Amino acid sequence: MHKKQTRDIFLFILGGVVLYFISGMVDELRVYQGASIAVYVIAISSIILLTGYSGQVSLGHGALMAVGAYAAAVARIELNLPIILCFVVAVLAAAIGGALLGAAAARLSGPYLAGTTLALAIGLPSLANQFSVLGGEQGLLFDVGFPPLSLGEEFTQYKWFFWIAGLGALISIWIVKNILGSRYGRTWRAIRGNEVAAQLSGINIARSKILAFTISAGIAGLAGALLSMTIGTVSPSAFPLALSFSLLTGAVISGITTLPGAMIGAVVLVAIPEVADVVAHRIGSSEAVTTNLPGFLVSALLILTVLFVPNGPVEQHRARKAKHLALKK
Amino acid sequence: MKAMNRRKLITVSAVLAAVSLAVTAVPAQAAEVGVTSTGIKLGMTLPMTGTASLGYNKIPGAAKAYFDYLNANGGINGRKVTLVVKDDRYVPTEAVAKTNELILKDKVMALLAPLGTANVKAVAASVNPGRRGVPVLFVNTGFSGFADAKKYPTTYAVLPSYIMEAKIMGQYIKENFAGKKIGLLYQDDDFGSDALAGFKTAGVTFAVKVPYASGSQGAAAAAGWITKFKAAEADVVILFGVSSATSAMLGVAAQLKYAPQWMLGSVGGDATTIKLTGVPAGVLYNAIGFSPVPATTDMKDEYVKLFSDIYAKAVPGSTFDLNVLLGMNSAFMAAQALKAAGPNPTRKSLMAAIDSKGSTFANSALVPLGYSKTSHVGLTGYWVGKYSPTGDLSPVGGTYVTYTTDSGAGAVVKSTYVRPAMPAKGLPN
Repeated sequence: MHKKQTRDIFLFILGGVVLYFISGMVDELRVYQGASIAVYVIAISSIILLTGYSGQVSLGHGALMAVGAYAAAVARIELNLPIILCFVVAVLAAAIGGALLGAAAARLSGPYLAGTTLALAIGLPSLANQFSVLGGEQGLLFDVGFPPLSLGEEFTQYKWFFWIAGLGALISIWIVKNILGSRYGRTWRAIRGNEVAAQLSGINIARSKILAFTISAGIAGLAGALLSMTIGTVSPSAFPLALSFSLLTGAVISGITTLPGAMIGAVVLVAIPEVADVVAHRIGSSEAVTTNLPGFLVSALLILTVLFVPNGPVEQHRARKAKHLALKK
Repeated sequence: MKAMNRRKLITVSAVLAAVSLAVTAVPAQAAEVGVTSTGIKLGMTLPMTGTASLGYNKIPGAAKAYFDYLNANGGINGRKVTLVVKDDRYVPTEAVAKTNELILKDKVMALLAPLGTANVKAVAASVNPGRRGVPVLFVNTGFSGFADAKKYPTTYAVLPSYIMEAKIMGQYIKENFAGKKIGLLYQDDDFGSDALAGFKTAGVTFAVKVPYASGSQGAAAAAGWITKFKAAEADVVILFGVSSATSAMLGVAAQLKYAPQWMLGSVGGDATTIKLTGVPAGVLYNAIGFSPVPATTDMKDEYVKLFSDIYAKAVPGSTFDLNVLLGMNSAFMAAQALKAAGPNPTRKSLMAAIDSKGSTFANSALVPLGYSKTSHVGLTGYWVGKYSPTGDLSPVGGTYVTYTTDSGAGAVVKSTYVRPAMPAKGLPN
């Protein structure tokens, strides 16, 4: 076990080094897209933790991201906190929101939980319109500042975003991975498998569910703050219902029960519009096709995933490998 | 034999490598990003899909129709103007991502008419066209802040600001509805607070003010608004909101047979968009409306005539409405700016051209443009008209009465601006 952890730490550091070199090799657009991918990786991993492991469905993660984003922006503007603390505030604020939501969620399941979180996704972001400190429809500026001069004059803003988001993603994945491997992760899986059986073996269902919601929300809050960093502003329209849906889509495409799959989902979400663009240009189609192609591709991919690799490509690969090994024996 | 082949292979590869190096090492033509000897590339982001796209999704088709016409008539000094359009679904995150693609991948020379205040703000903060020196021409929002040349050095407004509109409405109310009870429906955010500021400057006192939160507008909410206006016995009701709010209000009012004197702000006052939501055109009859450009049905107007002809050929079967006219007008102004930017336009010379000559650019609007070295203010006023029984806004008595003002404390005055004649064939001269 100890050995495995040392190996994991080494792998994560190696991942960081690889990202560092990649950021120096690609152009600015790719660096920006890399930052977006990192944000999605964090958000999707929070859904994988909640839905894939604790078995609770959330259609409202966009709203929890908004809580984190607004908390970070307000902390930055009103309290002038250093940027790292703003992200901490984002995590805490969203986690508190998640705990409250979790308390309600613990009493709900299935479609009722989906409905509640859906209402949150629709309602919460527009609440910002009611408070002038949140800047209304046009939102607030969220400025993390220029990269430190010591990184050189050539160091672009987007590369700075990529570093911050990439580091955030590595840390989040590390934390999620460890939580899932811990007693809590096993508790959640027990609940997901069979609530009654879990209860019989002494697990406090409500408390475990609330904990899952709290942790998931905190991570979503970090994703929200990082998202608003990449676009420089926080506004209600940045967290539409479609965001919550595409995160869930990303999680399903990733394989809802496999953390490493988060990368796949995130890359797909960022790459699809560009792929659609290329396809549309190649076939020289009309404007109506071009504008609707990304949505179509994502939906088609979602359906194909559910039909053919319901547990996600990573899990599928793992299962096939296990079967292969078993056959060999 | 094998060794020979290998040697051959190495030689060929070396030659190829050298050639390709040499090719890439040839300095790119000393021209600007997005400008080649044969073309100029512009980019646009706006909602093409989703709920907010209604009406706006006609703008790219309109702008392209004009550019195609321009290109067929020689382009800008022989360069053809192309427009790359990206769908941002009215989401700031998407607007930033797509604008990055336009600037970094498609390498456009300038952005044209990006839409939505929150989106343009996010792009300004993240993509920062100001620092990159990328011109953002004629943003499609009435937020007065974008005319601030210090804060947004490369951004140019075109629509009159919400403050200007409210001030002009206030002036019209003073002249025509003195002593009447006035009601106001407004959006509870910066859009609305700009309006309130304008009405305050104009000295309008309201019998009732009804705010609504963006996204809350719908039939149920509209019934509630009407109760409030009825309770306050408002004679004139101003709808200073987005199209969906105007449509909800008028639709429910028609059902309840509630008919005060309506006054529609330009943002939510496009008749085609309102009618698309199923509101009967008759409800609009006699409502007062405001627009900076001529009535879209005014075929005596040379711009409307030419633009609608061009549009009908390019996009057959599509109605020529306010969004189309404004889209073509922005394209036409962009063409003039490019022409004025010299034989080899650069981003810098393009902006310098607008700063020095922008206020004289020919365009369809009936009010003057405010561009100067220190100001990025676009159009500075409105004409006041009434909606016909078929729901088309046209000037009262057939003549355009225009008002002009600023976004500050300046007075509202009846404009004496006479629009210069359209350049021959509607091409930049």
